[in-house]
Amino acid sequence: MSYLSIQGLHKSYGATSIFSDINCEIAKGEFITLLGPSGCGKSTLLRCIAGLTGVNGGQIRLDGEDLVPVAPQKRGIGMVFQSYALFPNMTVQQNVAFGLRMQKVKGSEAEQRVEEVLELVELNDFANRYPPQLSGGQCQRVALARSLVTRPRLLLLDEPLSALDARIRKHLREQIRNIQQELGLTTIFVTHDQEEALVMSDRIFLMNGGKIVQSGDAETLYTAPADAFAAGFIGNYNLLDADAASRLLLRPINSRVAIRPEAIQIGAQGSIEALVRSHSLLGNVIRYSIEARGVELLVDVLNRSPADLHARGQRINLNIEDNAICEVA
Amino acid sequence: MSHAENRSPLFHQLVVYALMLILLMPLLGTLIYSLSTSWSATILPSGLTFKWYLALWSDARFLSAFGRSLLVCFAALALSLVLILPLLFVVSYHFPKLDAVMNVLILLPFAIPPVVSSVGLMQLFAGGPLPILGTPWILIGCYFTIALPFMYRAISNNLQAINLRDLMDAAHLLGASTWRAAFMVVLPNLRKGLMVSVFLSFSFLFGEFVFANLLVGSRYETLQVYLYNMRNDSGHFTSALVISYFMFVLLMTWAANRLNKDKS
Repeated sequence: MSYLSIQGLHKSYGATSIFSDINCEIAKGEFITLLGPSGCGKSTLLRCIAGLTGVNGGQIRLDGEDLVPVAPQKRGIGMVFQSYALFPNMTVQQNVAFGLRMQKVKGSEAEQRVEEVLELVELNDFANRYPPQLSGGQCQRVALARSLVTRPRLLLLDEPLSALDARIRKHLREQIRNIQQELGLTTIFVTHDQEEALVMSDRIFLMNGGKIVQSGDAETLYTAPADAFAAGFIGNYNLLDADAASRLLLRPINSRVAIRPEAIQIGAQGSIEALVRSHSLLGNVIRYSIEARGVELLVDVLNRSPADLHARGQRINLNIEDNAICEVA
Repeated sequence: MSHAENRSPLFHQLVVYALMLILLMPLLGTLIYSLSTSWSATILPSGLTFKWYLALWSDARFLSAFGRSLLVCFAALALSLVLILPLLFVVSYHFPKLDAVMNVLILLPFAIPPVVSSVGLMQLFAGGPLPILGTPWILIGCYFTIALPFMYRAISNNLQAINLRDLMDAAHLLGASTWRAAFMVVLPNLRKGLMVSVFLSFSFLFGEFVFANLLVGSRYETLQVYLYNMRNDSGHFTSALVISYFMFVLLMTWAANRLNKDKS
């Protein structure tokens, strides 16, 4: 039995359809990521679930109750925004307590609950600061605490990490995931960053052009892309059309093919002769651009030792295993 | 090049001091004149006295003119706050597209010279359904249009800086109604813009003469009209009036600055 169930959800602005006929089922305690390029409708879908944007049709059922006619104040949904949206005129403590004040939770109970969530996001020492005195990461943790203190039935995160620098982003995504699992909180997270999606989620809904293109766990999405868009968006797949694929693999192929760059092996035992065009060092991985039988390929190799490096213009052999070749629509 | 650089600090300071002197000279002259017993054929005044100030501040006509000016200014400012705040909130929250229209609209008071618009206002309100010419009401309405551009600009810049939409969304999801969110979250964050625009408009309106003289004149004598009517009196007396007026506006500006600094 699903906890959140969305059926036939439709949203348009005038004649422009943002998304239509969205259907999905989410279980209690699941961490779901809506992943997709900007403009694919993922943020609008989130805002519709929160009730901040109206829908043109369809149902959103949370714990059996249809949310569509319910005002956002009464939905019991917490949300964290990319811009933090902290109230600049209130201290951290007052920001977090705001939701309790609206629910008329008073006195020592309110104080204790605020203290608890501030502890959860490790910000007790900052309770009396104002938001402009905090760093971006701290601001977002306050925003998280503020949305958790009312014990929401559903937590929505709208690109909460996009405005932060890389190191803080990594730390905070672990913290968010830990808190989510600790509280068993059903969470929907919106991002355009595939790495975030793969690392954090129980399941990923890949969206494009107002549709859920593919849904599944990280491994499925990464190893078995449903179509050319999925293959192009996740990882750094080599996407070959039928002609190029037939030429490369020396057998007739009548659909597009996606090959992961790390699934191609460079070695003497390979059957495909190729030429190194260029390479770039990504840190632990070296990414080669290689030409084989007139086809351009990206190949990733683990950066084991500098002695293994293949120079530009060097002739090498490639091996592509059959199970690495993924036919896509 | 190095020659010029060595000299430049001194040169720059000289320019600034000279400019300050030129700007302060008339004010200083007025100040001394208002404090002197008589100052006509000599280089320096013949004696110093406070009697002009005493005479001014014990003149009932001056005090009531001062009171009327305060009343008209505060009424106009209160009217603009009551109208502009909700208007701006609605425009930026519900109809962001209207902002362009509003920007043109608020520039209109600038586009028409005061003499022209006062003639128009005189014709419009001399009779007809709303014969308020010569009463303070027409001045309040007129001052409202003058304050409008200052207030609108300052508050709208302030609104853009606080990311209104996200703040409102966050407050809504935490259970606040639109009214409560506006009062608890949005209004406190507009304090700075409000303060700046109110004090700016106040010092501007307090010294306004053209509309006050043409639309109302001596029938409801404001401070500037009083000053004008006193022009044939002793120059020492009117100087004391000018300095008093100036000190009052200075005090208001200083207070406004103090209030603004507190928070940041």
